[in-house]
Amino acid sequence: MGLEQFKNRNVGTQNYRLLDLGETPKTGFGQFKQVAKRTFKGELFVGLWVTLREMINALFRGEMHTVKYPFEKLPISPRYRAIHDMLRLLESGHYRCIGCGLCEKICISNCIAMETRYDENQRKEVSEYTINFGRCIFCGYCAEVCPELAIVHGPRYENASEQRAGFSLFEDMLTPIDKLNLQQEYDGFGAVTPYADENIKKTPLAY
Amino acid sequence: MALHNSIQKGKEITITIDGKVCKSIFGKTILEIARENGIYIPTMCYLTKVQPIASCRMCMVRVEGVDGFILSCQEKATDGAVIQTQNSELYKERQNIMKLYNVNHPLECGVCDKSGECDLQNKTMEFDVAGQNFTAREQSRPVENWGHVSYDPALCIMCEKCVRVSTEITGDEALQLKFGGYSSTIINVKKEKNYTSLGEAAAVCPVGALVSTDFKYTSNAWELEKIPSACPHCGGGCQMYYEVKRDEIYRVTNNYEFTSMCGAGRFGFDYANEDVTKDANAFTKAVEAFKEAKSIRFASSISNEEALILQKLKGKYGYKLVSPEARAYQNFMNAYASVTGKTLYAGTMKALSQSRGIIIVGSRVNNDAPIVKYHINMASKWHRARVAYLHPMEDSEIQNIVTQYIKYEAGSEEGVMALLADALLKEKELPESIKAFLADLDIGNLSAESNVGEEELETLKHSLDKKSGFSLVVGADLYAHPRAAQIAKLVALFEKYAGFNVICVPPAGNAMGVSLICDLDDGGEGYTIGYNAPGDFTLSALGEGDLDMPAMNQQEGTLTTFDKRVVPMNVALPYGGYVLNDIANALGLKAQYTINYTKELPVSKGFKAIEFDALPDYFDINGNENRGYLLESVSTPVNESLEEVAQIEEFDGAVIYQCNSVDQFSPFTAKCDLLDKEAVLLGSQQFAMATKLQNGDQIVFEVDGVRFERLFKIDTSMKGTIALNPTFDRGLSSALLFSYRFSRLEFERVGS
Repeated sequence: MGLEQFKNRNVGTQNYRLLDLGETPKTGFGQFKQVAKRTFKGELFVGLWVTLREMINALFRGEMHTVKYPFEKLPISPRYRAIHDMLRLLESGHYRCIGCGLCEKICISNCIAMETRYDENQRKEVSEYTINFGRCIFCGYCAEVCPELAIVHGPRYENASEQRAGFSLFEDMLTPIDKLNLQQEYDGFGAVTPYADENIKKTPLAY
Repeated sequence: MALHNSIQKGKEITITIDGKVCKSIFGKTILEIARENGIYIPTMCYLTKVQPIASCRMCMVRVEGVDGFILSCQEKATDGAVIQTQNSELYKERQNIMKLYNVNHPLECGVCDKSGECDLQNKTMEFDVAGQNFTAREQSRPVENWGHVSYDPALCIMCEKCVRVSTEITGDEALQLKFGGYSSTIINVKKEKNYTSLGEAAAVCPVGALVSTDFKYTSNAWELEKIPSACPHCGGGCQMYYEVKRDEIYRVTNNYEFTSMCGAGRFGFDYANEDVTKDANAFTKAVEAFKEAKSIRFASSISNEEALILQKLKGKYGYKLVSPEARAYQNFMNAYASVTGKTLYAGTMKALSQSRGIIIVGSRVNNDAPIVKYHINMASKWHRARVAYLHPMEDSEIQNIVTQYIKYEAGSEEGVMALLADALLKEKELPESIKAFLADLDIGNLSAESNVGEEELETLKHSLDKKSGFSLVVGADLYAHPRAAQIAKLVALFEKYAGFNVICVPPAGNAMGVSLICDLDDGGEGYTIGYNAPGDFTLSALGEGDLDMPAMNQQEGTLTTFDKRVVPMNVALPYGGYVLNDIANALGLKAQYTINYTKELPVSKGFKAIEFDALPDYFDINGNENRGYLLESVSTPVNESLEEVAQIEEFDGAVIYQCNSVDQFSPFTAKCDLLDKEAVLLGSQQFAMATKLQNGDQIVFEVDGVRFERLFKIDTSMKGTIALNPTFDRGLSSALLFSYRFSRLEFERVGS
């Protein structure tokens, strides 16, 4: 192919083939006849059968394709940056946060505020910790910078609220001590989805 | 060598550092000259305000023609030296030092207070030490809580800065080095004293080893906003930063490289008048009260601008301005000026710290002005200064720096000053009238009355022989003395005829500024407005008056310092109420902000017409102070006539001395959580015997109409029949105390 053909923008001279759509009815009776013919051709029932078949499959054969949100939720990718969780140490159950303040420092929307103190064991302890979800842009920097993997993005993505400012305290985000066994380890920022290999569609080289 | 040094001292020299030709004078170290010329030499243990420590070896340089490395922090530069501060060899050496500093140093910077302002962190980065190449067997080194400060030996790099500060600067001598190779550590030998001055040692710690216990783990350094200001407590006006986050002061720091501050300044910052809103009703009442008032009584803890507002109101409405402490100081300084011919004393703190001989009269200096004590201590440590402490009460806290304690009878200050003048000034060139005055003194009688032995003065005189550079520090005992004017003149003779570096330490607050700006009156009359003082209508920054006022850390303005410097003070905490300027505006003065008055401060009194915002507030790289401006001494007419020394009033029996405990100065410091607030009458065993009081007795007595209800406690370190009575806890009434600090104790017992 030469360059000339690409440069040829005169579409009128291309070789187009017209589809045979038959004659357009000219009389009123002719138009009526075409409508009646197309309506009662029986193709309607082909479409209705598809719907019916899927309904039967879903209801009786257990092949339901939707979930009953909000009673049911689909698992979310670990890469998704939803409402934060505060994790605990699995061995001792003590919270992981050491109060270093890096999340507060790195937060670009200034939505994290924390206070720390000198505790009885002469260690640094977090006394107050708040995230303002009205300001949070879920950039994930806090989870990325955390040296202890203490603050992570959890699976809770429902952020709708009645007012713009929505605060979460440390205790709200902390794994409940009785659910410590259910605590999911955070794979880290940019982790791959589980079953990523199975889910991925290979790009075909040829059909 | 010493002889060689003394000949060369002051001689101009030229040295070459990294190819740059630097001119300086002999006596300065290589490091000092490098810094003057903006050449960087890394250091870890170097602290400008103390003698070179030379423990880190980071500052080594290569001097051409000399084998090995030279420690630039302690080596004096010699003429013609060619010095190299940076090369690959030095870099390697310094990098190795940093590697050794990092041996077993915990890597938990995340939870370290110093993170973000840590010297070790910075230098580790600077010398690219990416890992810990060496380790040693870890020892058990528990964190120690020493009260105001805590010490974590695991973080300590043994630079010795804290020990030096504790010895050379604050003089508490609490910190010592415990040698033992790798297990060397810093020990606190006076734990039970819990000195607030250790805050000064913590300030210089390059790592997180020695930190304020109150601040520890409460905030990262980078979260805090530094607000430069001046400390308003004792009148010293020390340089400080309020470190603020979310409208709360977390700590107070200072430019520790060049300047110091006392424990009260460092730990006494939470005295703000909080949660005040504009109460229009109270404001209207205040304006009405001002219209009705005949006099204004105020404590001297106000800014220069506020003092000027009061003075302007006096000019407009003819108020009598009553501020007893400042008035006494004003009278004293007026009499002083009548001899020297200058409105201000000539002494400076720097000269005090460089003195070879120091005489302290009429002040329990460690309590009245700790920063003055620090400077006396510096002189004592650096120049082995002779320090004579003349006071009716011995002070065990300054025993380590006082070389001669001379006790005199309470009330005999005039006689004491006359005796001192006789002993030390006689051989100077004096005008005839003064010579005659000294010749006429009845030494025997004065000596007997004041109880100062002639041989004691003789010893003092001998100890100052063959020395030069003397300081005389006088304090508040003299200002309220019935014979203050005469005493002032005697003190002034030392400045005028003997070249003494005389410092008349102003009483707490901003007494010097007030005494310069306001025409004060001796007594009030009629309806009185009290500003931080009792009155018929009170304005109070303590939050207990009829109208709230901002505390000193909530307002901008200027203060005067012991160095006769006018320094700026900035707003650290928000204040929502009315200020004195609002009242002044309602009364017909016109200024948008209080600081509009800064440039109007009286030039005739030595102030300068400089806008507040134009006042500098920094130390340059060589440690020169550029804070505000220095007051100028104004010439005044001279009248040297001295009166005959008066008969002294005898103070027999039990006597109390109005003196605040260390770290306490005013009702404002009394609000601070971290400062020791125990207010008890503290007396010796002997005092208890004389008064038949027992440890724990509750008594009531009155001084200047202020009622004191006090617990009596025996302090076994004290001697004599004088007890210490603090005044800081009396709230607004503290401002009423005006008379001579010693008074006879007449008390009643309370309860059983």
